[in-house]
Amino acid sequence: MIKALVRRIRLYIAQAWLSYHGRFSITHPFGYITSKLGFPFFLMIFFIFMGKFVGFSDPLYIVIGNLLLIPANNGMAGITLAIGDERGWGTLSYVLGSPAPRAPVFIGRAIFYIVDGFFTALLGFVIAAGIFHMDLSGVGLWLLVLCTFLLAVTASGIGFLFGSISLISRDGWTVLTTFIQALYILVGVNFPVDALPGVLQKVAYGLPLTRGVMAARLVLDGAGWSAIRSLVVGETLIGALYSAAGYVIFRIIEKRSTISGTLDAL
Amino acid sequence: MRRVRWGLVKQQMAVQLLVRTLNFSSLSLFILQPAVFSAVGMLLSRAAGNAVPDLVYSVIGGGIMGMWSGIVFTSTYDITSDRRNGTLELITGSPTSLASIEAIRTFTNVLCGFFALLVAFAAAMGIFGYSLEGANLVGAGISLLLLLFAMWCSGVFLANFLAWSRISGTFVEYLEMPMAILCGFMFPMRVLPGWLQTVASVFPIRWALEAMNESLLGMRDLSYLGKHWLIAGGLCLLLMLVTNWLQNKVQDKIRVNGELSSI
Repeated sequence: MIKALVRRIRLYIAQAWLSYHGRFSITHPFGYITSKLGFPFFLMIFFIFMGKFVGFSDPLYIVIGNLLLIPANNGMAGITLAIGDERGWGTLSYVLGSPAPRAPVFIGRAIFYIVDGFFTALLGFVIAAGIFHMDLSGVGLWLLVLCTFLLAVTASGIGFLFGSISLISRDGWTVLTTFIQALYILVGVNFPVDALPGVLQKVAYGLPLTRGVMAARLVLDGAGWSAIRSLVVGETLIGALYSAAGYVIFRIIEKRSTISGTLDAL
Repeated sequence: MRRVRWGLVKQQMAVQLLVRTLNFSSLSLFILQPAVFSAVGMLLSRAAGNAVPDLVYSVIGGGIMGMWSGIVFTSTYDITSDRRNGTLELITGSPTSLASIEAIRTFTNVLCGFFALLVAFAAAMGIFGYSLEGANLVGAGISLLLLLFAMWCSGVFLANFLAWSRISGTFVEYLEMPMAILCGFMFPMRVLPGWLQTVASVFPIRWALEAMNESLLGMRDLSYLGKHWLIAGGLCLLLMLVTNWLQNKVQDKIRVNGELSSI
């Protein structure tokens, strides 16, 4: 029993390690840092200037929102690429043909992106605190860590969903990047969800991240666990729902492809 | 001779459109991304309590953003994918210069980017009721031509920059947003701090775009516009000289090494 458990944990860790090697081990530190923080940083600055022009008086709102989206982007993009690249490089057949169970293989790969995104966001908070003089003195740091980690985990649910899409479409990555752009409007990154028209507010609450971002903002305003509990529970449930949907779709596609004799569906 | 050149232009444009530009990824860059940025601009304006967003910067600026994103990624992807597919050496070794091919490809990319701008204009006028009444149309037209030329020069420069140095790809991919900030794609230059405005003054796009936006807002001061046009034109020429220098460096490197694979 314990042996089997250890073997399974080893599989998760091995996949996370492989995930790191596949994505970043050939990159020099500059490339790694810029790929993590470069684009989000400049995008955040761009939105801050846009906000300044239209008279949006709270630049920190934009800073925090964009920082919170870093672990989410990492979770979504990393997992979609992890699955999509297997197909792109023609190695998916070997992964699916191996006797290793599917869940540890793909969830294991997600672990690296979750941890990586989580630490990148924390690093972003430290940098932003320095640059934008964010006052973190009254903030429950453990709650902030919890919210950031939760965002990374729930976003990976969307990653599984889009990763599955990338199995049947060559445009999976483009669909995801378009979706990520939509998140800049929908999940309360640059302005409150209340500023959206009614229909879009309903869409926003049906997505992971919306409640997580709200909870993290409350924590940064000094709120405690009781104030964010319902948001955290809601975020967890929505994230679990998307992860389950991604996994089920993945298994359906896998089953269909074995019936048709093509392991990578297209 | 002239017919052969037209044949080259037609052929390269057709290849560029079919292989690189007319796909979901590029269309997303040209159309969907600008729509998202425009929406963010308008919703930020709404969250700030403004009844009506500034259409020149929010909507048309989104089109400029799409134009630039498309040019950055398609122009750099051209070289990157040629290098990856092993066709960069063949192009460089062919009797037609790499610069000519890149110039035509980038021209195609700029035309597609112009389509993004037209869509943004159509959206501003058709959906949001933007009117050109009061705008300096001649000034805006000249500025637009200069803007397209500046975009083309920048695209050709980026493509040659990538051919010159493999490592440059790392930096070029992160150019999209800094340029959008420095050139004031979706906000006026006065929003930037003074030192950033100084840094931005080396980019021709910044001058052409500012002249276009001001013309659309009704600016008719010829000395102001003329100064912007002259600076934009001069910087474009400078960029072309640098591009030419880079291309010669690539050719020299191949001659010295005797290996096409060195690029």
